[in-house]
Amino acid sequence: MELKINNQIVEAEAGELLLQVALRNGVDIPHFCYHSCLSIAGNCRICLVKVEGQPKLAPSCNLIVAEGMEVSTDCPEVQEARRDVMQFILNDHPVDCGICDKAGECRLQEYQVKYGEAEPLSLEDKHPKPKFYDLSPRIQLDSERCILCSRCVRFTQEISGSKQLGIVERGHSARVERMDQKPFDDPYSDNVISLCPVGALLSKDFMYQSRVWYLEPVKSVCTGCARACSIQVWRRKQEWRFNSFGDELNKKVYRITPLENEAINGPWLCNKGFDMHRTMSRERALTPMVGGVEVSADAMIKAARKLVSGAQNPAIIISAQASNEELKAAQAALTDKFTVYTRKDYGPSHGEVLEDDFMICLDKNPNGDGVYRIFGRNVIDNPLEHDLVVVWGDNLRHEDVAGARLICLGSFASGREKDREVFVPISTLFERSGTFTNFEGVDNRFEQVFEKPSSVLHAADFFRRLSE
Amino acid sequence: MSDQRIFMNFDVTADSHNLAAYRDRGGYQAFEKALREQTPDDIQAEVDASGLRGRGGAGFPTGMKWSFVNKQAPVVYLCCNADEGEPGTFKDRWIFEHNPHQLIEGILLASYALRVRHAFVYIRGEFDLPLRRLREALQEAYDANLVGENVLDTDFSSDIIVHRGAGAYVCGEESSLLTSLEGFKAYPRNKPPFPAVKGLYQKPTIINNVETLATVPWIMTHGGAEYAKIGTEWNSGTRIFGISGHVNNPGLFEKEAGYSLKEIIFEDAGGIRGGKSLKAVIPGGSSTPILKADEIDTITLDAENLQKHGSMVGSGGVIVIGEGTCMVRLLQVLTRFYAHESCGQCTPCREGSALMNAIISRIIAGKGRSEDVERLEKTTKGIMGKTVCALGDAAAMPVQSFITKFRDEFDYFVEHGRSINDGRLEI
Amino acid sequence: MTTCMTEKFDRLRKVYPEEMTSSLVLPLLQLMQEEKGHLTESDAVFIAEYLDVPKIQVKEALTWYSMLYRQSVGKHVVKVCRNIACSLNGAERVLEHIEKKLGIKAGETTSDEKFTLLTVECLASCGTAPMMQIDDTYYENLTEDSIDKVLEALS
Repeated sequence: MELKINNQIVEAEAGELLLQVALRNGVDIPHFCYHSCLSIAGNCRICLVKVEGQPKLAPSCNLIVAEGMEVSTDCPEVQEARRDVMQFILNDHPVDCGICDKAGECRLQEYQVKYGEAEPLSLEDKHPKPKFYDLSPRIQLDSERCILCSRCVRFTQEISGSKQLGIVERGHSARVERMDQKPFDDPYSDNVISLCPVGALLSKDFMYQSRVWYLEPVKSVCTGCARACSIQVWRRKQEWRFNSFGDELNKKVYRITPLENEAINGPWLCNKGFDMHRTMSRERALTPMVGGVEVSADAMIKAARKLVSGAQNPAIIISAQASNEELKAAQAALTDKFTVYTRKDYGPSHGEVLEDDFMICLDKNPNGDGVYRIFGRNVIDNPLEHDLVVVWGDNLRHEDVAGARLICLGSFASGREKDREVFVPISTLFERSGTFTNFEGVDNRFEQVFEKPSSVLHAADFFRRLSE
Repeated sequence: MSDQRIFMNFDVTADSHNLAAYRDRGGYQAFEKALREQTPDDIQAEVDASGLRGRGGAGFPTGMKWSFVNKQAPVVYLCCNADEGEPGTFKDRWIFEHNPHQLIEGILLASYALRVRHAFVYIRGEFDLPLRRLREALQEAYDANLVGENVLDTDFSSDIIVHRGAGAYVCGEESSLLTSLEGFKAYPRNKPPFPAVKGLYQKPTIINNVETLATVPWIMTHGGAEYAKIGTEWNSGTRIFGISGHVNNPGLFEKEAGYSLKEIIFEDAGGIRGGKSLKAVIPGGSSTPILKADEIDTITLDAENLQKHGSMVGSGGVIVIGEGTCMVRLLQVLTRFYAHESCGQCTPCREGSALMNAIISRIIAGKGRSEDVERLEKTTKGIMGKTVCALGDAAAMPVQSFITKFRDEFDYFVEHGRSINDGRLEI
Repeated sequence: MTTCMTEKFDRLRKVYPEEMTSSLVLPLLQLMQEEKGHLTESDAVFIAEYLDVPKIQVKEALTWYSMLYRQSVGKHVVKVCRNIACSLNGAERVLEHIEKKLGIKAGETTSDEKFTLLTVECLASCGTAPMMQIDDTYYENLTEDSIDKVLEALS
């Protein structure tokens, strides 16, 4: 059907909301409480528009389109309504911008500058509410900043299903709360931080680490499970890198946020994904080793080649954390005498959610599908009887490899690097680019965030050089 | 005007609320006739012809509301809105205490007309005697097989469930009532969808006020056309008006719609106490714009006339204010009320009602500032027409009308830090 | 105590159509309050588990309705209406009188825990203003004498 928005003809499907149609056609109608994946709340009232023939302004988030509808989103009446509503929203809002992490990506700031009135409506004292409150060990709730849009509440009701958040008290005293006796331990809790349009729900991990305008996101993929969700990895912008204070802050991942991917995770991410940077910042194994002695990369490759050519019955255990590109490089490097085993190298840790109906997969590796497509499946079911085993990936289990000589590839320090014949330190998720194939066969590409340390190798390079 | 009575047409005695007394007055004959000889559409037709409008305050045509229900829907609910909470209103209470069977018959007729199996009476939690009388009457009705399975040995079954509120004025709003009935904090809902399409548990639901439903038996006894002859062209029938405030004889008076406001104050309610003069009237419950004494000469108590004069007939709660009353302090009674009752869901009402109360409270504490009255006006404009439900408008309209009509009192209070007439509210 | 309470719950539940379990939240909160005087979060959890509804739903309701108390109240709760018709007819003086008589301010409980004094909004008694409600009972057309009599009788 066709309708008019600001005198422009636009197309829409029956049953669509005017707000959706407008946004799709580049008409910016401000909105706080509306979210395309959540039920309609219609409580912020900033999205009011004028519909020709109707005496009252209508909230566009609850307005189903009709053939021939004529809507204005920028006439004086709508502009004045926006100014009025902004004044009410800011009525009790603490002027925290100077200390609030949300500054720079805050809808309230945006809309106030774009649509708001310079003068506040009220000169009354502001109404104090619980501030800097630990909603959970991960999330800080500031009820003074909260505009009660209920996105966080609706998320736990409708999306994650934990139903752990609600809005208590009537009228002016209303605030977001959880049950006192139960922590906010929803495994998807951190999504409310992304959902919150203001600085009411903030990540404690990211708190005060940096102003957001110094940071930029890099497109990456979470390696926490076989869903391989799209994420954004935030690093310091090139022009804002520090010249002093050493390199630590320039090589830091400040935070992880979800990247909307309709085919895989929508706009959501589980807490494990939000913690990817912590997963990746465990102690590294940085130096190639042969027989427990630190050597150069060349020396290590030489030793590895020697072992491989001398082996009668070598095997390789493939990592499901490896990218498709690396797997193909390994495949090209391996001779026919290699027996290839595949394994889900990472398992769930203690206390982790095993799997659920929403997003979390039982397989805690991002590229099991990629491994399967390239190598098929050959699971290790007894202790191996090989003279040489190349173990790719961090989770080595001794009973698998007793009696064999080992070439181990890994990123993180286990303390056992010196026990291997050859140890190959390899790059992490953030230090390379590549593609994973998730459990539904969808490819997801990740980009490099940082240069790898110079002593570390890319696994693909190692395999190429191994076969030279 | 004739002296037609639809509710208060008998002498109240210790037993006049019983089933036997109601039957003596002709009660339940209309219902029996409807069950045995008429169809649901016949009831609808009579209600349409009557021109009956809702008596809760919004005044929506009842027949039209009923017609929005999909007749093929497998489940339809009926809710009787007995959450009488509009300040100045105390009429539904009378019906419960003295004529509960007329309401029950009205609910039964509406249930028959709308093909409703379960009807609910959402009665405000504070009511004591009205609740007890309702429960007694329902028990009598069940015992007499007027309610329950196979009523009067017909195919029609009906249950009427009493559900108590727990202290929230906003539950008088239709969609808030439904949310409360569903077991939640009672946030009103955005409309569309309207309750007649998606209401209680998303099923088509009709919500009608007590007085509205209690009118239906009379309509079915005498016919919709007869009802339409009473009252005015646009506001048919009688209404139970409640007069309160500074009058000699406060109480309930059933009059035809269109009755003179002046007459009801000075004749029926005996005029202002102590021989004082009238200062102002709030004609239809606290949410309706206030009228000054010199405005009411030609005002009649019907929807059209009051609208023409910038107010509303509302719930029929006439609040009379005598000379010497401090309008600033009186307004604070109302702003305090609306701030307390705002549900908190939408921004303009939640913030605006608290803000208006804060400003007025500061004024009457003697700390008014020169821009306060302007800010109050700006706040009311900011709220009106932008909220999820009418409570926002209801909070804004008194502030708007008080300031407009009694501006000098507000200016005085702000400038001098005290009331222009010693702050009295009593007469 | 809990089995007795669940029996009472069961009886109330039968009043409503089977599919309307959620509707029982408010009636059960009111029932529990009648027994216990006031309600805590644990009571909300108890009701939520009985009905199999989200706990946060019951908590929200508990914090939202004026007639539900989250702090202990006295044996008698005196609720004085302060809305418009009552204010026009001396509600302020009524409140002052009761505050003096009981020796507490609105919102407080007497030290012997006999009375809690609250102010409330319109109780639909405007024609018989000023008035108050003590527990369930309405007391209308109040005078200083009638107030004194009632309070003395309840002491």
